[in-house]
Amino acid sequence: MRRVTWTVLVLLTLGCDSDREAAPPERSAAPTGSRALSVYVVNEPLRYFAERIGGGEVEVALPVPAGVDPAYWSPDPETIVAYQNADLILLNGAGYAKWVDLVSLPRARLVDTSAAFRDRYLPLDEGPVHTHGPEGEHSHTGYAFTTWLDPTLALEQARAIADALAEARPARADAFRAAFAELESDLTELDQLQAAAWDRLGDAPVVFSHPVYQYLERRYQLDGRSVHWEPGEAPSEEMWSELEVLLAEHPAGWMIWEDEPLDGTRARLEALGVRSLVYRPRASASDGDLVDGLRADLAAFESG
Amino acid sequence: MRDVLYLAWRYLAHHRIKTAILVTSIALIVYLPIGLNVLIGKSADELTARAVSTPVLVGAKGSPLELVLNSLYFESATPALTRHAEVDRIAETDLALPIPLYVRFKSRGHPIVGTTLDYLDFRGLEIAAGRRPAVLGECVLGSRVAESLGVGPGGSVISSPESVFDIAGTYPLKMKVVGVLAPSYSQDDLAIFVDLKTAWVIEGVIHGHQDLAAPEAASQVLDRDGDTITANASVVQYNEITPENIDSFHLHGDFSDYPISAVIAVPGDQKSGVILMGRYEGDDATAQIVKPKKTIDELLDTVVTVQGFVVAALGLVALATVATAFLVFMLSLRLRRREIDTMTKIGGSRARVAAVLCSEIVAVLLAGGLLALGLTLATGRFGEAAIRAFLVG
Repeated sequence: MRRVTWTVLVLLTLGCDSDREAAPPERSAAPTGSRALSVYVVNEPLRYFAERIGGGEVEVALPVPAGVDPAYWSPDPETIVAYQNADLILLNGAGYAKWVDLVSLPRARLVDTSAAFRDRYLPLDEGPVHTHGPEGEHSHTGYAFTTWLDPTLALEQARAIADALAEARPARADAFRAAFAELESDLTELDQLQAAAWDRLGDAPVVFSHPVYQYLERRYQLDGRSVHWEPGEAPSEEMWSELEVLLAEHPAGWMIWEDEPLDGTRARLEALGVRSLVYRPRASASDGDLVDGLRADLAAFESG
Repeated sequence: MRDVLYLAWRYLAHHRIKTAILVTSIALIVYLPIGLNVLIGKSADELTARAVSTPVLVGAKGSPLELVLNSLYFESATPALTRHAEVDRIAETDLALPIPLYVRFKSRGHPIVGTTLDYLDFRGLEIAAGRRPAVLGECVLGSRVAESLGVGPGGSVISSPESVFDIAGTYPLKMKVVGVLAPSYSQDDLAIFVDLKTAWVIEGVIHGHQDLAAPEAASQVLDRDGDTITANASVVQYNEITPENIDSFHLHGDFSDYPISAVIAVPGDQKSGVILMGRYEGDDATAQIVKPKKTIDELLDTVVTVQGFVVAALGLVALATVATAFLVFMLSLRLRRREIDTMTKIGGSRARVAAVLCSEIVAVLLAGGLLALGLTLATGRFGEAAIRAFLVG
């Protein structure tokens, strides 16, 4: 029998009193002080929101190499340790950055910025169902995760960040709320701009070059279908054939791209009656300022 | 007076064995009840210290004592399991920080504690060598585990199967040791800490296997019906997580359905703790909330009356010893009759002779008392360390 059990038995036998008062320990919380809060994020929109709200009070890090999609990036152990040591770790939620599920991060410092609208996540089509071992049938499913493309959801995420920063540094809460109010104004304006821009399409169908625009589609009631085309790669003949089949049943006049397509691709699409529009989700650090960038893409669409 | 003391001293020095026995007997009879009480008090403090520092535990309905012993001391049988949804439930109240615990598996007799990094912060556990777990399949060892296994950062430990007869049960998982904790002189020194998700890998609910849609897995596929693939039991499930296969690890369903053994809830303040307790009181059919200190105190209080019997027994022993000492002194007087007569004949008054004899008795009692005091002080000074060393092996 183990020693603690033995000790319990000894005490059971001998009896004793223990009148020490229980005092709840301090909740594990991010350290505070005069230094800037260290905030680690998983994508560019969160970095943008945190910097706009936190200003000089925060040092925001998005350690994803330039040109790499943060959604599919995996950090090395040293980078994970850097995340562990941050004061706040901002997650996008909705299954974004799956590496988060496979690493150890302190829950006390995690902020799931989309937790408030989990019930509005858009489920993805189910993956292949498979069976092996005693577990029975299962499939690997998930949710669409580019939540910030719906400005109303982006606003919820920014609000979660403002709340987290205010909790971590209560003395600066008013400044964070003021900065959030400005951001809220920008996002509301962006929402109105987008509503007007996408309204130009009416009920006309569109094609998305990648299945990442689900929240945009829902917010502005776009009639879209997605393919898996890379902007920097020329589509194969098979992909063109598939597109022609798709266009036959879904006569889209626009293809919305994540980045500038190749000139040849753009020209061939136009020959099919499909114009190209670049609307970058701006998830990567190299994609530039989120709100200004989206405004610029919209302006290009409206002038096009 | 000096002559009286000199004679008493010479007598005691001459009969040093008899004196030593008397002093030891008296010292022990004084020390035993006091020292035992000090030792028990310190043992109780050590045992209840973790209970005191753990504000609230939440677990499945069942034995509160089993829940507390398993969650605080990583001993006793695994209590009835609850689901990770309980962690989310506590988190959503915003009243407390929930720290999940899954204490079920072992490696070479050492408990594997599946939890989050918050546990290390909560217990104030520092890394002495290496770093904290970062990715799936990594672990840190308690100081005594590292010592007894002779393993440090860069080494590995393997989880033990729950039953050798359960061939369809959990596969052993080879875990990479990335750190060793500094000694905390608590049960944490005897445990292996992994991320909760690694504990689920040991259980098999998170697993990595060959891509069944890949051509290489064709021989394992029994049937393909649209999106449904049925594979045979030869599908290779990985029993070590490496950079090459980590991306194949996946979970099925939602974290909230996954098993845990308990949740330590750390309220922000006492009011939050009371409100949280209130949320679980009443008709909660599946979960229980316990204050570990209360549970341990109840355990100890139920037998506090036994302490009375022990004290009574010690009292009887003390009485017997005092009676024996008295008898020794009386017999000694009888045996020393001629010596006393001699002292009287050479001019010693009755009072002087009585003073010599009394001085001898007082000196013996004083020496015994001082020895008992020394032992009690030593118990108070070193007892705590001795108990800690005993508790953590």
